[in-house]
Amino acid sequence: METIISVKNLVNRFGSQLVHDKLCLDVRRDEILGIVGGSGSGKSVLMRSILGLQRPTSGSITVLGKEIKYHKPGPSRCWGVLFQGGALLSGLTVQENVELPIALHSDMPVETRHELASLKLLMTGLSLSVADKYPSELSGGMRKRVSLARALALEPRILFLDEPTAGLDPIAATSFDELITYLHDNLDLTIVMITHDVDSLFGVCDRIAVLVDGGIHVGTVEETIRSDHPWIKAYFGVPRAQRANTVARGFQHE
Amino acid sequence: MNDAYLSLDHQPDRLVVNIRGQWVFDEVLALEDATASVLPDPDQFVTFQCAGLEEIDIAGAWVLYDRTEQLAELGIKSELVGFKAAHFKFLQHIIDAAAIREYEEPRDPPARSKILHQTVEHLGRATSSHIEDLGEIARSVLDGVRKPSLIIVGETIKQVYFTGVQAIPVVVIITFLIGIVTAHQAAGQLEKFGAAVLVVDLVSISITREMGVLLAAIMVAGRSGSAFAAALGVMKLNEEVDAMRVLGLNPNQMLIIPRILGLVIALPILTIFADIAGIAGGALIAVGSMGISGLQFVERVAFSTDLADFYVGLSKAPVFALLIAMVGTLRGMQVKSSAEELGLKTTMAVVQSIFMIIVADAFFATIFTRMGI
Repeated sequence: METIISVKNLVNRFGSQLVHDKLCLDVRRDEILGIVGGSGSGKSVLMRSILGLQRPTSGSITVLGKEIKYHKPGPSRCWGVLFQGGALLSGLTVQENVELPIALHSDMPVETRHELASLKLLMTGLSLSVADKYPSELSGGMRKRVSLARALALEPRILFLDEPTAGLDPIAATSFDELITYLHDNLDLTIVMITHDVDSLFGVCDRIAVLVDGGIHVGTVEETIRSDHPWIKAYFGVPRAQRANTVARGFQHE
Repeated sequence: MNDAYLSLDHQPDRLVVNIRGQWVFDEVLALEDATASVLPDPDQFVTFQCAGLEEIDIAGAWVLYDRTEQLAELGIKSELVGFKAAHFKFLQHIIDAAAIREYEEPRDPPARSKILHQTVEHLGRATSSHIEDLGEIARSVLDGVRKPSLIIVGETIKQVYFTGVQAIPVVVIITFLIGIVTAHQAAGQLEKFGAAVLVVDLVSISITREMGVLLAAIMVAGRSGSAFAAALGVMKLNEEVDAMRVLGLNPNQMLIIPRILGLVIALPILTIFADIAGIAGGALIAVGSMGISGLQFVERVAFSTDLADFYVGLSKAPVFALLIAMVGTLRGMQVKSSAEELGLKTTMAVVQSIFMIIVADAFFATIFTRMGI
């Protein structure tokens, strides 16, 4: 299977703290990879390294065959990122936020750009009545949707999601999960998501990468649950994880 | 060129459009041209044959969908066949879902009378909110003074350090240079009258009464007024202020009082430094290039300048400090939504505090002259 993102021997060290110790990760085309790990295990650092926002101590990262260099333009046409807090530009309206990447990367007429941006908003389940609002006037869940619409604006091949369902109520989180699955099924998307939401992990992800002790354990959901590693056992052993797993399996059998 | 995306096949009963190639985001401009060339007769049926499609994404699907909609508006029926990708279904789903929710029509621009109405309303609301903010701050300042807590003392000392101690070098250099400039300008004029020694009077009086405190205050307004507004603004944006309120801390007391008190302590100290540096600058020119001896200079300063002159300058410092701190913190607390607003409020804080300093200085000058001090 085609490898879209390849991380080789990544080392990230902050002072005496070794966050990643020769970490290797391959993300395959068209999969949804969930990244989990305890606080400070370097989930965000890994994602920021892949995005070229963080200078790794050593190691190499290639995305779509292109080597990622710190603060050098990456394949920004090909990836979309949903930051944890949304990271919408606060001085622009919702519509302008979504149109911005299109305007930067395309010379299409304003009207088409406008229509496409509206379409992306509709795709993420928003109503067009929010288009002229500013991010500060939206709820947290809506902000996430707008941010997702912006991430999807350029028809990306890879989507990075940083805790997409954190801070959402169960209904909103479930519909966000459904949205992600729906987008994944209908578009040719590879999705990398950091999440602590066990429902998302079991319901959405094809593979799970667990960051622990500076290394990484990657496997399918089944493999990960059966892992012998004490931390992973503890993580998936807690009642809520087991409940989520039972529920997810129940759905699969139906 | 359009051949890359579609070709037309006129059949007796229908128009068959063979779609092919790359229907993707990057090609949208060309795709729109291509679809615009699909011009069937009014009663013709159009079939979009999509079997030859290599790649399609949402943008490409949208162009195609948009054309079928346009044709439908003209009363021309069309169909899509041979679609492999699910994009179109997806698109249809989205559009259908959106159609359920009524699109809100943009409102008409308000009439002129309405604009006037809104302006007055806005003005009134802004004024009343300013008064409310000021009142709230004043009340918490009073509360803070009545029941000083240790946190406030610690914060105040920190602010004295940031706004006062750290500003000493720049204030000293600036007033020193202004002392030199004043002495030079005065020397040029007064030497014509053979009254070169009066340069000392002019420099020492103008620096102690006006220039020292004014320069220090303007420098502090630029340094600390902006810092206050920016720091509080970011705290507001991060919901830190809300967090303090919920924790039972009064943000006005925690954030505003230490800054006001700190500045009220720091600015007079800075003024003293400024006075000394300014006179030193004058001395450099008087002694260095005008042949006045050092002893003569000191005597002349002592003769011409009373302690009253020094106090006049110094007495203005706390007032200026209050103005700078109030405007800076108030503007910072007014930040509500965006990073741009933060920039705007920070600019306002600096401009308004300098403006108010100069207005207050003019006011003081008039009063002190009337009082004969």
